[in-house]
Amino acid sequence: MHGLCRFRSTTLSTRARSFSACPTQGPELDRILPTAFTRRGFVCRRLVAAGARFGELAEAAVPLDFGDPASELELARKLGLADLSALPRIGFKGPGTMDWLSGKGVVIDGAKPNWSWRQEGGALAVSRSYSEALILSDLGASGNLCLELDAASEEAQAAKAYSLPRYDGLFWFALSGVESSKCLAKLCGVDLRSRSFSDGAVAQTFVASLSAIVVRADLGSTLSFHLLGDSASAGYFWDCTIDAMDEFGGGPVGLSSLQALGAEVE
Amino acid sequence: MSGGTNRLPEPAGSRIDRGRAIRFGFEGQEYEGFAGDTIASALAANGVWLLSRSFKYHRPRGSMTMAGEDGSALVQVGDEPNVFADTRPIEPGMSVTAQNYFGSLEWDVASLIERFKWLFPVGFYYKAFYRPRGIWNYWEKLIRQTAGLGRVAPATPRRYFDKAYLFCDVAVVGAGPAGMAAALEAAKSGAEVLLVERDPQVGGSMSYVRSAPNGNHDEQALDDFQEQLSTFENLRMMADATCTGLFTDNLLSLVRGNRLYKLRAKSVVVCAGALGQPATFRSNDLPGIVMGTAAQRLINHYGVKPGRRAVMLTSDDDGYGVALDLDDSGVEVAAILDTRRGAATGPMASHAAERGIRVLVGTTVHEATPRPDKLHLSAVLTEQATDAKGMRERIDCDLLCISVGSTPNASLLCQSGAKLQMTDETGSFAVRAIPPGVFAAGSVNGFTEIDAAVADGRRAGGESAQHAGFDVLEIPRAPTPGRVESQYWLGPGHPHGLDFVDFDEDLTVGDIKRGIAEGFEDVELVKRYTAAGMGPSQGRHSALATSRLVAQVTGRRLADVGATTMRPPAYPEKFGHLAGRGFNPVRHTPLQHRHLEAGAQVMVAGLWVRPAFYGPRHRRSESINDEVRAVRQRVGLIDVSTLGGFEIRGPDAGEFLNRIYTLSYDRLRVGRVRYAMMIDDTGVVVDDGVAARLGRNHYYVTASTSGAEQLYPSLLWRQAQWRLDVDISDVTPAYCGLNIAGPASRAVLQTLESDIGFSREDFPYMTVRTGQLVGIHVRILRIGFVGELGYEIHAPSSNAEALWDALSDAGRPFGLRFFGLEAQRVLRLEKGHIIVGQDTDGLTSPLEAGMEWALGRRKRYYVGKRTLDILARKTLTRSLVGYQLSDTEGRIPEEGHLVVRGREIVGRVTSSAWSPTLGRPIGMAYVAPEQAKPGETVQIKVQDGRLLHARVVPLPFYDALNARQEL
Amino acid sequence: MKIMPCPLNGPRNIEEFVCAGEVIPEPDPDATSDDDWSAYLFILENHAGVVREWWYHVPTSFWFIAERDTVTDEIVDTYSPDEIFGREPRPDEPPATTGSGP
Repeated sequence: MHGLCRFRSTTLSTRARSFSACPTQGPELDRILPTAFTRRGFVCRRLVAAGARFGELAEAAVPLDFGDPASELELARKLGLADLSALPRIGFKGPGTMDWLSGKGVVIDGAKPNWSWRQEGGALAVSRSYSEALILSDLGASGNLCLELDAASEEAQAAKAYSLPRYDGLFWFALSGVESSKCLAKLCGVDLRSRSFSDGAVAQTFVASLSAIVVRADLGSTLSFHLLGDSASAGYFWDCTIDAMDEFGGGPVGLSSLQALGAEVE
Repeated sequence: MSGGTNRLPEPAGSRIDRGRAIRFGFEGQEYEGFAGDTIASALAANGVWLLSRSFKYHRPRGSMTMAGEDGSALVQVGDEPNVFADTRPIEPGMSVTAQNYFGSLEWDVASLIERFKWLFPVGFYYKAFYRPRGIWNYWEKLIRQTAGLGRVAPATPRRYFDKAYLFCDVAVVGAGPAGMAAALEAAKSGAEVLLVERDPQVGGSMSYVRSAPNGNHDEQALDDFQEQLSTFENLRMMADATCTGLFTDNLLSLVRGNRLYKLRAKSVVVCAGALGQPATFRSNDLPGIVMGTAAQRLINHYGVKPGRRAVMLTSDDDGYGVALDLDDSGVEVAAILDTRRGAATGPMASHAAERGIRVLVGTTVHEATPRPDKLHLSAVLTEQATDAKGMRERIDCDLLCISVGSTPNASLLCQSGAKLQMTDETGSFAVRAIPPGVFAAGSVNGFTEIDAAVADGRRAGGESAQHAGFDVLEIPRAPTPGRVESQYWLGPGHPHGLDFVDFDEDLTVGDIKRGIAEGFEDVELVKRYTAAGMGPSQGRHSALATSRLVAQVTGRRLADVGATTMRPPAYPEKFGHLAGRGFNPVRHTPLQHRHLEAGAQVMVAGLWVRPAFYGPRHRRSESINDEVRAVRQRVGLIDVSTLGGFEIRGPDAGEFLNRIYTLSYDRLRVGRVRYAMMIDDTGVVVDDGVAARLGRNHYYVTASTSGAEQLYPSLLWRQAQWRLDVDISDVTPAYCGLNIAGPASRAVLQTLESDIGFSREDFPYMTVRTGQLVGIHVRILRIGFVGELGYEIHAPSSNAEALWDALSDAGRPFGLRFFGLEAQRVLRLEKGHIIVGQDTDGLTSPLEAGMEWALGRRKRYYVGKRTLDILARKTLTRSLVGYQLSDTEGRIPEEGHLVVRGREIVGRVTSSAWSPTLGRPIGMAYVAPEQAKPGETVQIKVQDGRLLHARVVPLPFYDALNARQEL
Repeated sequence: MKIMPCPLNGPRNIEEFVCAGEVIPEPDPDATSDDDWSAYLFILENHAGVVREWWYHVPTSFWFIAERDTVTDEIVDTYSPDEIFGREPRPDEPPATTGSGP
């Protein structure tokens, strides 16, 4: 089970400035807001406007829920979109990538591009080609795999595995629920139905005309996809996905409901 | 009885719910129908047949097919034009109006045009509007007013249309007997099957065609099919969905409601059925003249009695089934006219004879007679099929049903590459040369009998599953082709016309023949000249007749005539379907919200949205000038996150850059920065930026905002061939870029917590430093695009906002101002720095742009060098220079204005601005090479044609010794 | 819409790809006349039949080579450029072949 998020109870950092759109007054003050950190998610204003409640995770504010955790879990089962951009991730590219990662204990098969492997501790290793990988943290950011690999960047470079700042370059959303593949069919021309795109499969394709990485990573027994793409288009992509979710009654969910789904036994 | 006066008693009407009456309006009158009715069926139930006026002669028309196949049934529903009245279900309160009339539907003033039809000969589009000169201006007004069908209401509220993908192994188009059988057979193999049906229910002809002499349509067989269809989990049905196109590699477009589906299938079975054809005789377009199947649909689907007294014109046994249906429904069948010479012997015919229905063999219709009000059929005049001068007989009737042969509904098949060929056996088209992966079954494949269609469907279902990669133990046998009992009966035409071939375009037999006589002997040419088949029904009822007429007139064999090309869409799509929910990605820097909060006016640069300047729109030039002055005199901050960023890493990184860029980088010291210009194979400047050496094997290279997107693929393309030991990665969105520039920029940075020394000695011009700034990892490049002391800070995007806030807070005491793209353009122009793509174009070499200094003279190779060597030996045709204006008379040239010498154009202005620093307008322009010396005068032609005299001056305009950027 | 079998990503809608023209070997810049060099840059063969083309898969930034019949538009084969540019030259060696691509 993923570690629970630590709630931060300090007041807003004096240096950090609030968003003009969200007044911070009265009881709101002890709420954690993205502005309390120097690292901020790409769609955090949209989350704040939607009423997200944040927790601190990996030195950033991660949306935990939107006020009603119980109904949100049901939403996540049906169709939920979560912003995981605050969670650690790192990329490696170069001819030595697969060997170096394997040497570091990462489970990955360099001969199998476009696939993903769950690591002990919950992280996910994604092969993007024969010589490029992406490591996604576990949903509780309790493991340190990404940080450890990041710290070893120089060693990696010597082994011709060149690290890539994917935390800043790629947004990371998760689309969960039984309707998620049907919803993605409105955005993407690749067949992502359960039967053709099994758990662990990876597609690098256009989603809403944007180059994106789609990783099927079920949470417990719930169908779920990780979606990653150009962080400069995060807001555009969020809006497109929310719009596509409308007909299924889907909506934004926080990390808590994904963690709860992940904890359910298959 | 409610639901209309022509309603038949139960059980007729499988699709209507008699318990749910629905009231709706047509032409201002209220009518009642039942849930399940279409507009046309509900109106027919109320005795209303007239739905529209024809396109050219405004002749009264009604639905001919009751199946959404002909353009005569198009109506307006509220603000929605061109709705098929015979497929659109009625809804409570729906307001329907007819189309294409002036005055009223019953008394259309424009129908008088018919009397002047001699004025509109075939091809009149091509003949009438040319002489005298200018006559088109007169005609245009008239034509624009009369042309077109429905009304587009500009105030129509915006509706949500979108698109979605669908995937399956086998797609079956059409859920008639063949389609249902094909889908079942394919599903048995385990293939995922999608069965697409245009109707709201499956069944096709099985749901309305008489199956036995004694009985109605075979409801039991249909129920069995439906039950079987529901047993397969891997078989999905999609009703109310129209397949409009079949594209390469089996991509099908399906329209359903406001959504366009793009269906990708491994194999496709087309079971689109056959289209009953009209016959040609005078006034063959009157309301009351319908296809036999239309009468059967009215009776069996909607429980509507299609008339009181009917004549059946037939060339096959199906017509006898229709006659029996009519007889069963209480319609008096006055006569069956059988165009064939001998008496029919089939079971339906025998049964009709037993019932005592009068049959006239070898007989056809000479002309139809309208009622006095001309709005409906009142009688037909018969004619001997083989002897036009033989005996004729007038038969009173208000309904004439036609069953004279059909043509395969082959549009989708033809789109896939199949061909149509006329055969002597049927006198109609048959589908040939269907490409692999596409299959046809049922009546589109020539099997019109229901049993044969089912067998053919099973065969195609098996074959399609096998093609999709599924194991099929035994492919069901194809049915043996039966004896062809009927020939398509074109009809004799009529000496006085009104024998329509194309109902959409009001083209008669005579029109087609005239087109052929004028030399257009190929069907494709006949189509273009006469417009036959170009209307909303896309030749479904005219293509066969046209081809037959071409064969007849030119004396060619049927097999040699061919058919016109069929293109998507097979059925109408709305603009909303095509335009709905397009995806146009935009890119925002992580500082977008800070810019808006600071009052930025944004502009679009490529996919990026960037601040043009800060301040209200009406204070544009003041704001830009203030921003420029702030940078020159104090300090400014600009978001340059849109610059491309590339990591070049590995032992061959320096060699790679040497080959890509015109200067040398392998000997650049670690910590140094160098300008980087890239030219392509043809010697054209394509991008510029800087390369910073961060380590022995590590460079960080920036690219222009507009060039970055093309640069990355081109770098990878070179590397795919060079195969150097280097990795190239695009990290553009991972780094924000903040450029703090101005004499006070160093002082601002020195107030912030950092492990980087900012003094002149620690951090000289054209160097790079990495470290921490306010706790954020940064790469700082000391470069001078704007020509002042400045630091370009690259930091992780997620930190951008915190860094921006820290810098703007620290800069406040120093008078820091945010500046946008416009101010930056002025600042760099003052420094004479070019912008690739603005001061260069698709043909600019570095030699023309004054960039020789950026060419590595001692280098053996870089991309484009070989071409530059050739260009260097040629005479220059233009040179980029800086100019200043002596007397502008209040005018400033705009970018793109021409530089002229006498009557000759020698160049153009590429950059132009008022310089707040120098207090006068400045610019850059291409001029003739001999004019490129400082002191020369050139002439710039500005908007009103006036010539401005500009003096060529040395660049830069500002700080010629480059002292300020190296402070 | 056509399907392109990408050697890295499998069959995909062709809208995910960009075609960058025929694979044309770059002549040795030092041993080529001006005329031949210009012909290399600007004269295309436009061959009717199977040609070797550069294709680029946009979402993965992956270059590969497709053999396509320009008459039937049939894609005969696709493979990684490694198969024809497999030899790794020394860094100091001038490039053996490039093309007139993007």
